[in-house]
Amino acid sequence: MSGKREGEPSAEPAFGDIPKPGANSSRLLSFQRTNKPLDSNEKNHHIPKTNMTTTHRPLTEQELATLTSQGCQCDDWSAVQVADGFLAERVRHATFSGEIRLGRNEGSVRCEGGVERRCGIDHAHLHNVTLGDNVRVANIGVHLANYDVGSGTTIENVGLLETRPGACFGNGVEIEPLNEGGGREVILFNRLDSQFAHLLCLHRYRTGLTDALVAMAKAEAAKVVSDRGTIGRGARLMNVKSIIDVCLGDAVIVDGAASLLDGTVLSSPDAPTLIGTDVQAENFIIAEGSKVTGGAMVSKSFVGQGCQIGRQFSSEGSVFFANCEGFHGEACSVFAGPYTVTHHKSTLLIAGYFSFYNAGSGTNQSNHLYKLGPVHEGKLERGCKTGSFSYMMWPCRVGPFSVVLGKHTRTFDTSDFPFSYIEASPEGRCMLTPGFNFTTVGTVRDGAKWPARDRRQGDVRRDRLCFDVLSPLTVGRMIRGSERMKELQEKTDRAVETVTIGGAEMKRVMLRSAQKTYRTAINLYLLEQVVARLEDAGQKGGASPAEALAVSPKAVLDEQWVDIGGQLLPKARLDALCEAVEKEGANGFDTLCRLLDEAFDHYAEDQWAWVCWAYERVHGEQLAALDQPALVKLVDDWAKTKEKFLKLVLLDAGKEFDPVVQTGFGQDGTGEDAGADFSAVRGTLEGNSFVNKVNDEIAGVAGHAEAIKKLL
Amino acid sequence: MANDVQDRVIKVVARTLKIDESRITPESRFVEDLGAESMQGVELIAAFEEEFDIDMDEQEALDVKTVGTATAFIERHLD
Repeated sequence: MSGKREGEPSAEPAFGDIPKPGANSSRLLSFQRTNKPLDSNEKNHHIPKTNMTTTHRPLTEQELATLTSQGCQCDDWSAVQVADGFLAERVRHATFSGEIRLGRNEGSVRCEGGVERRCGIDHAHLHNVTLGDNVRVANIGVHLANYDVGSGTTIENVGLLETRPGACFGNGVEIEPLNEGGGREVILFNRLDSQFAHLLCLHRYRTGLTDALVAMAKAEAAKVVSDRGTIGRGARLMNVKSIIDVCLGDAVIVDGAASLLDGTVLSSPDAPTLIGTDVQAENFIIAEGSKVTGGAMVSKSFVGQGCQIGRQFSSEGSVFFANCEGFHGEACSVFAGPYTVTHHKSTLLIAGYFSFYNAGSGTNQSNHLYKLGPVHEGKLERGCKTGSFSYMMWPCRVGPFSVVLGKHTRTFDTSDFPFSYIEASPEGRCMLTPGFNFTTVGTVRDGAKWPARDRRQGDVRRDRLCFDVLSPLTVGRMIRGSERMKELQEKTDRAVETVTIGGAEMKRVMLRSAQKTYRTAINLYLLEQVVARLEDAGQKGGASPAEALAVSPKAVLDEQWVDIGGQLLPKARLDALCEAVEKEGANGFDTLCRLLDEAFDHYAEDQWAWVCWAYERVHGEQLAALDQPALVKLVDDWAKTKEKFLKLVLLDAGKEFDPVVQTGFGQDGTGEDAGADFSAVRGTLEGNSFVNKVNDEIAGVAGHAEAIKKLL
Repeated sequence: MANDVQDRVIKVVARTLKIDESRITPESRFVEDLGAESMQGVELIAAFEEEFDIDMDEQEALDVKTVGTATAFIERHLD
């Protein structure tokens, strides 16, 4: 035995180079919270490969005698070859057929509960199989056929494990997210990421791009077609009924799954993937670090990195990207962008596009009006929540960071009104209150929690994610929304109680106050960006304020920004990217990845160009033209705006401790006991960690502003 | 002026919360007595701003709990 623990993945690559962990380049900056993917060339490493390099030799007569004496059978023993270090006495009751290659097997593997079990083969029929070193294969009900199995792997109590000729392993499967009626098909392949899927699914108006993306997806899918499947190094397959046409990555754990058919489970030692009890999956790809457990049913679906699917959740025709969570409920034809979360029974997500989303219990939508079929679709832009038993009749489009409450039976589009509360009237009409969600504790906490809860581990992170709550996307929408509300306010008589905007109804008096809220949000963002620049330049030294505020010549300026599957970028940059990719056709996948990575890298520059443009539009003066006194005033304005914002957040937090929400506390006690019970359970406003953090921030704003002014 | 402001405040409250003016007194608490939800609090501020053509600080305004204190708050803005 070697010094390393048996059963663990070998340090020597048997299936190709595996990058070392810790090489990821994620970055979290206070003003640019983004998560950077690796270079596209590095993104292919966890995809199971089938080339094994160990040298094998024919069996010796002694080995053959041992094998036959231990109940092993084979019609043609010359087709069975072994590596040096192979111990025939560790192979019992095995039947071999086809080409067989067996590695060293002198070690042991560590199973559940820390039990060490000897490597070897026991009660199994192997057909056209290559086993790496120190593999344990035991109790295979039917057979293990047409597989290359990596070193240190355990396969035990598996009914059937086979690859059929021309298997695609879930690659090339065409699914219908967003529109159940079709027309937005996404083709699954191992390197699929949220940006690619977004463009393929949603940009059908760019026919050239769609053709190119389809060709790329098919080309990528074709690369994995094989008559042989792969089970990676250090994998553990236990108590599984059947696995057919499935590739399994390094360190994957498949424990108790019912049936896996036509799929790939990407996995790596630093981001192992778990497929758990009673899972049924067909036509699927599940990516690194995900957990699909608890009787989940996954059909024609892509589960991205760091996802958790379980507790009988069922998914059909859906894609889930980084860090999604699906429990109990159902997803049908869903495009679940990063951080789409649904935890409750009775929650049906159907024919919708979501990202950074949280579904309340009983959330439901309709895509079928019993006319031409299930052809309707809806979009909840990033950061939305839906309240318990909220319902939307598609088509609808909800602007970013909005909360949807009640039963909506009318179509509306609030995309220019981020941070809204969207309630339903008793008649099912949409009642819009723009900006109401901007200063809520929930929004502030969400913004902080997403980057902190990125479960993707290891070196490969495919989806390009920008976490910023305030960005050119949301702030640009608020600028547009303000202009629309101003225009409506000016032309509406004061006797009018409600106005209609984007198909939603809005109290006329709110037109003015919503503009005020948006003004605060826009200012907060713009001033914060400027102040951050000034502070950064001042701390580094050497750059004058004018230099610090200069726009990079590499930046792309576009008034309109887009959110493609969690990545924010100027529309002009996306347009250029799409044109370049269209020209390359089927060979353009690496180009697409490179250009998306470049766009990601230029986020800060592009954002700053937009800030300069927006500042001039909002304030009527150029940032570059501001002299020192004007900059000092700007810093003061920032401090005031920031303090005002934080105090409103505190006010919202205070509602969580209001006597009204203490209702029901103090069971069987007196009125005084209610307060004591509440404090014991929920704590106090003064002792709340979030509140204290905000208070500390408020206390520090003035000093921070003074420090920045000294740098000017 | 006090009575005039108070009358207008009561009218705004009645219109916004869709309740009868007779139910509203200076002592009426917006949440507990008049059933105002948090969204309606914001709506009330917007309605007061329009009625009296003033710009209220949202944080201070949301701290106002009764009709009477709302009247006093608005009177300070009008002074």
